[in-house]
Amino acid sequence: MAVATERQDPGPAAAGVRRGGAPPGPRRRGPGAHGRARLIGAAPYLLLLPALAVTAVLLGWPLIKNGLLSFQNLNMRQLIQHLTEWNGVDNYRETLTSEDFWRVTLRSVIFTAANVVLIMVLGTLVGLLLARLGSKMRLLLSVGLVLSWAMPPIAATTVFQWLFATRFGVVNWVLDALGWHSMAHYNWTGGQFSTFFVITLLIVWQSIPFVAINLYAATTTIPGELYEAAALDGAGTWKSFASVTFPFLKPFLLATTFLEVIWVFKAFTQVFAINEGGPERLTETLPVYAFVEGVGNQHYGMGAAISLLTIVVLLALTSYYLRIVLRQEEDEL
Amino acid sequence: MKRGLIAATGVAAMLVSVAACGSDGDDDKAGADGFKGETLTVWAMDGSTPDGWTKDVKAAFEKKTGAKLKLEIQQWNGIQQKVTTALSESDPPDVLEIGNTQTPAYAQTGGLAELDDLKKSIGADWSKSMNDSAVYDGKQYAAPWYVVNRVVLYNKKIWAEAGIKDTPKTRTEFFKDLDTIQKKTDAEPIYLPGQNWYFFDGLTIGTGADLVKKNGDKWVSNLADPKVGKAMDIYKQYQSFSKAPKDKDEATPQQAEVFAKGKTGAFIGMGWEAALSIKANPKIEKDIGYFTIPGETEGKPEGVFLGGSNLAIAAGSEKQELAKEFLKIALNDTYEGQLAKEGGVIPNKESLQTQLKGNPAAQAAAPAAATGGTTPLIPEWAAVENAPNPVKTYMTAVLTGKSPAEAAKSVEDELNKRLSQER
Repeated sequence: MAVATERQDPGPAAAGVRRGGAPPGPRRRGPGAHGRARLIGAAPYLLLLPALAVTAVLLGWPLIKNGLLSFQNLNMRQLIQHLTEWNGVDNYRETLTSEDFWRVTLRSVIFTAANVVLIMVLGTLVGLLLARLGSKMRLLLSVGLVLSWAMPPIAATTVFQWLFATRFGVVNWVLDALGWHSMAHYNWTGGQFSTFFVITLLIVWQSIPFVAINLYAATTTIPGELYEAAALDGAGTWKSFASVTFPFLKPFLLATTFLEVIWVFKAFTQVFAINEGGPERLTETLPVYAFVEGVGNQHYGMGAAISLLTIVVLLALTSYYLRIVLRQEEDEL
Repeated sequence: MKRGLIAATGVAAMLVSVAACGSDGDDDKAGADGFKGETLTVWAMDGSTPDGWTKDVKAAFEKKTGAKLKLEIQQWNGIQQKVTTALSESDPPDVLEIGNTQTPAYAQTGGLAELDDLKKSIGADWSKSMNDSAVYDGKQYAAPWYVVNRVVLYNKKIWAEAGIKDTPKTRTEFFKDLDTIQKKTDAEPIYLPGQNWYFFDGLTIGTGADLVKKNGDKWVSNLADPKVGKAMDIYKQYQSFSKAPKDKDEATPQQAEVFAKGKTGAFIGMGWEAALSIKANPKIEKDIGYFTIPGETEGKPEGVFLGGSNLAIAAGSEKQELAKEFLKIALNDTYEGQLAKEGGVIPNKESLQTQLKGNPAAQAAAPAAATGGTTPLIPEWAAVENAPNPVKTYMTAVLTGKSPAEAAKSVEDELNKRLSQER
């Protein structure tokens, strides 16, 4: 039917092509110029090609493969014997109806929220501090920030494990020396809350540099005259922050928060390496849960389903920002 | 938007890349005339192969077959995934050490070669209690290698202080001794946390209980069985002599380190845990003694959990004959005996237990090995032991006041759910 319509009436379709195609300008030139212009027009896409190809191979393909696995019953036996057993949406149904999944989801959301709030508040404060410091202290602080940012996650996690070790950890030693003798042999990874405390400290410490340096960079874009004008109008410190600094920083804060939500939510290395989701699976966040169910318990299909659901949850969490970005793009069009 | 998607996709990529399948390979040349020039790859676990044993077995194997032996030591951490992946490949390791309770699960996958003829030729007098774990569906899929089991480690000084001269021969005597320590000294008679689950598993073996039963074609909880309740009652009597937490297992805190402080009469643990105590407090070394966990009557030790390993041949290995040659050498009386002597582990034949002389911990462990057992030898069991283990939950429930029947009922759903996980 649709084909027939097109044949009978080519007018609108052709117009559509023209409207969506290249700008009319170059079309009027000669054939040689036309080819070169086409090449120039294609240049951005050609330049994008390598990056897109790498993304497709390293992210797209595993994602498709993961999607396929999530509809299979793939465990030890199937893996060893190379069997493919499709089981429809069983994995999804079982995950979505399990109490565990929802408990872990709630835990992940709370964990992400707590970390992101801490990271943003402390990171912003450090960023503002950077802007106010003299050049020597600023250099010192910047070096410190860059070093902690550059620390590989597993190395950082190992150092934190040593710091918080039960018998020989320096944290317990200091607490004991300060008078909290009951903390002398405190087992930090023995309880849900104390384990999360250590993980949160680690993650916040690792993320502050990114926020701080970003925010500092943003403050350098604020023209100094604005502060002078505000001061002339009688604005105090707080007032000039609220009406000059903050409006300038807002888009940066929004973008950084968005990135931090993603970063914390998908933090696997730190959470897993500190205590492997223990004690008693009480510190498993969604990525760890997917790993433990999928790889740990060797239910690979189930793990794939959980990891895809994890992406859905993450998309839902970031939907507010995504909507803003999409709306902005529409406005630009 | 794109950044978000890419980052989110990254999570998935990170997670799934681990699960990617091994590739199907094409078959290499099958068989060979003689073994010369071939190399046999053996995976053994960290700590299983003492140096002297390794050197001697290697020399004997290479001399007899003319092939080379490549021994690769594996770490316990993440071993199940590693073995699964290895067995799925076209060129797996030829011989693998596999934990005894994990053997049925691997046998079920079809990844292990059937060894009925090997059992016939060299396995006639393998201990039955050890061989059970190597049999699945009536067929032999591995050879029992060694086991270790729990004993009582006691503080001789505290026992002497309480005026006790001999180690107990029956459970009743043991309880009486603990009572004496309680009354005559200020020490804790025994350190036993509420979730020393492998000790409890041993007690159920002692009362002849099964933790699971078959309901139609499905395995379901059998914790409500009075025999399980009876084992739990025994555990509860032991636990009443301890101040240890009822909701923790023996690793939090490490019971050996508690014992090292010298204020604990005894604990139930592995022989090697003494080394942990000595490391924490070197002065305790001369006070540590060992005895077999006594059973109901004299001469019949308590049931114990046999933790150990089997040797299996990968079904996908192209060197089946050479691999069998290796097993015949590694498991013969000379080298199996040497393993027991050097490693202090219980060998796969009772006749070889004489090799344990001079090792008090192993000598205390050996008498119980013949009547020991394991966890239920079904592939479904592995899921049950993932934390939080419902059997541990059951134990704590009984110890904090529920009746065994009530406690069994409260964890039944969770246990059944885990037993019915699709494979």
